[in-house]
Amino acid sequence: MNLQKVISGFFFILAMTLNFGFFYGDMSNLELHSTYELFAALVISLIATALKIGDKTQIGSVLLASSLVADMQLIAAVVVWTVIEYTSGMTPAHMATVVSLSGGAFLANMTSVILYIGETLKSKR
Amino acid sequence: MKNNALWIILQRLRIPLIVIIVTYSISILGMVLIPGLDDKGNIYHLTFFDAFYFISYTASTIGFGETPYAFTYEQRLWVLVCIYLTVIGWFYAIGALVSIISDKTLKQELTKSRFRRRVNRLKSDFIIVLGYNHVNSQAIKKLVAAGLNVVLVDKSEDKINGFLLEDYSKSVPVLVGDALLTETLESAGIHKSNCKAVVAHFFKEDKNLRIAILTKFLNSNVKVITKATMNETMTSLLDTDIAKVENPFEIFAKRFDIALSSPHILVLENWIYKNADLTDEAVFLPKGRYIICGYGRLGKLLKEKLDKHDLDYVIIEERLRGDSKMLSEGRYIRANADDKEVLKESGIESASVLVAGTQNDIDNISILLTARKINPDIYVIARENTMKEVSIFEATKANWLFMIEQILINKTSLQLSQPLKHCFLKRILYKDEQWASSLVNLLKVQLGDNPRLLNMTITEKRAFAIYTAIENGETVTIDMLLKSLEDWTKYHKALPLFLKRGDEEILLPSNEALQLGDQLLFACDEESREEIELIASNIYDLHYVSTGEEKKNWLLEKIFG
Repeated sequence: MNLQKVISGFFFILAMTLNFGFFYGDMSNLELHSTYELFAALVISLIATALKIGDKTQIGSVLLASSLVADMQLIAAVVVWTVIEYTSGMTPAHMATVVSLSGGAFLANMTSVILYIGETLKSKR
Repeated sequence: MKNNALWIILQRLRIPLIVIIVTYSISILGMVLIPGLDDKGNIYHLTFFDAFYFISYTASTIGFGETPYAFTYEQRLWVLVCIYLTVIGWFYAIGALVSIISDKTLKQELTKSRFRRRVNRLKSDFIIVLGYNHVNSQAIKKLVAAGLNVVLVDKSEDKINGFLLEDYSKSVPVLVGDALLTETLESAGIHKSNCKAVVAHFFKEDKNLRIAILTKFLNSNVKVITKATMNETMTSLLDTDIAKVENPFEIFAKRFDIALSSPHILVLENWIYKNADLTDEAVFLPKGRYIICGYGRLGKLLKEKLDKHDLDYVIIEERLRGDSKMLSEGRYIRANADDKEVLKESGIESASVLVAGTQNDIDNISILLTARKINPDIYVIARENTMKEVSIFEATKANWLFMIEQILINKTSLQLSQPLKHCFLKRILYKDEQWASSLVNLLKVQLGDNPRLLNMTITEKRAFAIYTAIENGETVTIDMLLKSLEDWTKYHKALPLFLKRGDEEILLPSNEALQLGDQLLFACDEESREEIELIASNIYDLHYVSTGEEKKNWLLEKIFG
């Protein structure tokens, strides 16, 4: 067993599950989407990105790319939420934007988890 | 991937980044969860934005104060924790970044990638020089002066730093690296089509061989210019097909041979190398008895030549036993040449030439001094192995200095920077004394003791008038180039020495018709150089020397004609 693999796998999958947790539920319903969950999803996603940095292999670069996409989407969601909250106040339509942004991040996270699993299955050790 | 520097930074930044993310997120989460009191005494929670804002200026020790309302004691307790946590995390990350920037491997990678960029930017032909030693440094100097691009690789950083202090080093990309590795050669641009040659003059000759073989497999269009003094290395090098091997001993022995039969060829050669002018007769060997001190690589070759010319000689060598034939003829003395008695025994009082040709420079000087004391008129050939002692050797006033390194420098730089002169020299080596002495006399009478040389290639850029004339189907002969611009029935003083047309080489061409791409070598003086260049590039001047009439301007002709 490789401890490094456990740690990185843990963060990749946790980033995806947290993201899913935030995303799941009626898009425009404010109460179904917790800020804490979005915060956690962003933090874990950033950590996952840091773990992927500096891997020179082909698959490593694709993993890093997908992770960067997820970060971008989540940061966009957070910024939109903050700006809306402090200017016009949250409406169901704006909430849908935030949630759909996190939905995009969820897809990117899923891509990176699938790639990661694929790489693990291919490995002979 | 090529850019290692970036990857080194990214890999080292992993942990610091994670530390910052974790400390920030713990602090922010705590700030959001702990309830505070607003100005009206109501319970409120900081939003994530408030918390991120607060932690950002706290962690970077800016400290704008407590927002949006003054904190409660519970909050301040947590802020204390946050301060130590995030400030330490932040400083750790900055420290890590600074240490990466000052890291030696990173610096090396950065210089390497800068080197690769500079090599890639070279658009014209360039030459890779491996190893920075005396020979190569002088060769680089000459090549740079001739306007060629040079790339230098050496294993030792100190040597490279020494090179960077030279004033001609600015245009030369340098790399610290092991020249025997494929990776280094690739970085130096050996794959590029405008890489013309690799120069390697390592003292250890197996290194030279290794470089020749590597180069053959990496890019067989590249010439390898190297040296070899051992026969086995020499043959292996020649087997690679791409190596131009310089054996200083053979080169010198060949000169010695020519000096015995046709010394004027050497006068011409020294003039072309700019070592001396045409009046220099230092290479005229007197006839008589030859004494050779040292019977190694040099001594053996010289003996062959003396045998060929059937001259009287004696060899003095301490370490080797001579063969019986030489011993019986009394031509071999096994003793230390640096000894008055031994030299007297060899008959130095009546000898005419002494070759101080041992491997040891100090021995050679000492032999020379002793010999001169016994026989002040003797002609001395002294061998100098390294250039460090050059001033001492010059002070001894040996008649002919055999400087191994100087031969390598001249050969290397001439064949790379002046290939036409190199071809000319190669051709004249096979000529006889009569030919050479009449050429030397002709040059001396017509152009003085030290004529200049002029290269000309018939291209649009170098010889516009001739180029367009030939393009239009007119015939331009070499003779036209020699006519005087003041009076076309007379000639100026220049002398055509050599014409190279593809693989065809013509010595002293007379009245050949020129073709596109021809390369010409003239001996000339300042005035005739100007005339040749004018005729070659100015259509009016070319018209005048070919017809004797002024070329008419078509517009003026229409108006007045």
